[in-house]
Amino acid sequence: MKTQYADIKSIMDPKSVAVIGASEKPEKVGHIIMQNYLDVGFQGPIYPININANGKLMGRQAYRTILDVKKPIDLAVIAIPAEMVPEALEQCGKAGVKGVVIVSGGFAEVGRKDLEEKLVKISKKYKLPFIGPNCLGVMDLRARNDTLFLPTYKIDRPKIGGVSFVSQSGSVGSSTLDLISGEGFGLAHFISYGNASVVDEVDILNYLANDPDTKVIVFYLEGARRGKEFIEVARKVTQQKPIVIIKGGISPAGVGAAHSHTASLAGSYEAYEAVFRQNGFVIADELDDLLYYAKIFETQPLTTGNRIAVITNGGGHGVLATDALYKYGLTFPELTKKTTTALRKAMPPVVNVGMPMDIGGEANSQRYMEALNILNEDPNVDAFMVITLFQTPGADEKLADSLIQFASQKKKPVVAVATGGNYTKTHVALLEGSGVPVYDSPTSAAKALSALIGYAKYKKRMI
Amino acid sequence: MLIEGMGTLLEYEKAQRLLSRYKIKSVDSGYVKSAEEAIKFAKGKPIVLKAISQKALHKSKSGLIKLNLYTDKQIAEAFKDLSRRAAKFKPYKVLAQKMVTGSVEIIIGGKVDQQFGKMVLLGLGGIYVETFKDFALRACPITKYDALSMINQLKSKKVIAPDAQSQERVAALLLKASKMFEENKMEELDLNPIILHDNTYDAVDLRVLQ
Repeated sequence: MKTQYADIKSIMDPKSVAVIGASEKPEKVGHIIMQNYLDVGFQGPIYPININANGKLMGRQAYRTILDVKKPIDLAVIAIPAEMVPEALEQCGKAGVKGVVIVSGGFAEVGRKDLEEKLVKISKKYKLPFIGPNCLGVMDLRARNDTLFLPTYKIDRPKIGGVSFVSQSGSVGSSTLDLISGEGFGLAHFISYGNASVVDEVDILNYLANDPDTKVIVFYLEGARRGKEFIEVARKVTQQKPIVIIKGGISPAGVGAAHSHTASLAGSYEAYEAVFRQNGFVIADELDDLLYYAKIFETQPLTTGNRIAVITNGGGHGVLATDALYKYGLTFPELTKKTTTALRKAMPPVVNVGMPMDIGGEANSQRYMEALNILNEDPNVDAFMVITLFQTPGADEKLADSLIQFASQKKKPVVAVATGGNYTKTHVALLEGSGVPVYDSPTSAAKALSALIGYAKYKKRMI
Repeated sequence: MLIEGMGTLLEYEKAQRLLSRYKIKSVDSGYVKSAEEAIKFAKGKPIVLKAISQKALHKSKSGLIKLNLYTDKQIAEAFKDLSRRAAKFKPYKVLAQKMVTGSVEIIIGGKVDQQFGKMVLLGLGGIYVETFKDFALRACPITKYDALSMINQLKSKKVIAPDAQSQERVAALLLKASKMFEENKMEELDLNPIILHDNTYDAVDLRVLQ
């Protein structure tokens, strides 16, 4: 099978942009998109297109149609009423535009399949790929490319990083994007692809597979349009980088009557889940998991071992961690004699050397580091869960700094757990900003570690 | 009249031959037309009698299975009763099978998914299929890794395959069944139950919908 992939480079990383539907009226989608391009500081030429244009629009030379620009255009963003979109797309084709994002809605999603089919025909005629219709489009903060019609003051733009987030749905996409901005990790690309009438999940995964900025792909999927090709491209991608996926629409849909046990058990969601498992996807059960998983995969090395060393400055959190490890199929390491001897020597007598290791409510940065450095040498330790309750007297900025130092070796995966108010949040931001994923409970930390290990095992095809 | 929307149920004997082409073992069976023929088939060993009809998909629910037939008298009575019960599912045939006993029953199945094409299923079988819904699914073709990871995914993995050898055995069977499902014109497949016993197995009930 030779899979065809649409080339979306001009959409993802354009050197010039036209906004069809640009307007001086601030409530118009075309206005917001124009404003965003100006706000993010897009480096190339921006051409506002409006059928009633006369002179300048938002400070730029405006054109009535894209044909009037007469300069090379990589990307055209179309934000006009549905009925007018086919003509605008046709003009894009004639003007030699390389890629299009159609944000306008009013197509197959409201029963206007006919109108959407027109778009597909035009796209084929000019070999012009487009994302959408009925989508938010793309955002890439490195390329300063932003077709989202969400005003910058209403939704936080995340910082630049290695997570690419793909969402069929615009609403899940934008609300999750807003959440991502509050997390410590950064974004490579955001893609909301709507009706997927030309560019679909297969094309997008193929692009991200080859994108050096993308370390982790986070995917909200409602349905794959090309099943076999989806499997093929997914298998290729997951061998290089993880895809964290959440499937929308899991309730059983009655597709015909089932006459065998097999058919009655294995519905459409089960089939998706099977394909995810079989091809190394990291399956998220809820939206929170997307964030939990994204940050560990973006920053931490992989391991196939499930022996987690837990150190804590709070006894109760040690107990919770023990339960959480058990729940997610993880375990404590059996420490070597060398390790226990060294720990016994380094730790004060009140510390009980063993797992989980409660190093005391008064533990400071120095004690944490002594314990971590000794445990790091133990071959039976595969990864770390470091519980740092910043409410205690010894836990401060120095602890955050040393933990960042320790994790930056990237020898074994490290996750931190911190729960609390403003003082804690400041330190969490510090840690996450420097590549240490922080979780608000031992449970979410264990879940993330388990996902990391599961993916590492899949890559080596270990059971 | 067939059940609406259903593909054709492949003749039991044809299905059995197909299985043997893929070296999948199924229990000794044969159609019988009378109690005498059933007794002859039994040769003094315990047997099972089943009425098979396109109109009755759940044989056990419709009372169309007679288990544990040890004596000629039991066989004769069972045949009579079965014929009475099966009358409303005409046309039907009566199948005699050697009785296989084992404590673990699994299901291996296949279906065609709208999105991903042919898929294969492994689960805890027999009467527990619908109750516990403990199964694993993969898209065809499957690899040995897929087969082993399917076993590992089951809650009942320790029951179905408690050691490395039994895992290998179930994985090998799964690979054969998956290959058969993939290479033939089949819409749905149920090998349920497959009885695991004495370091081997026997497919006891076969349902192939074309």
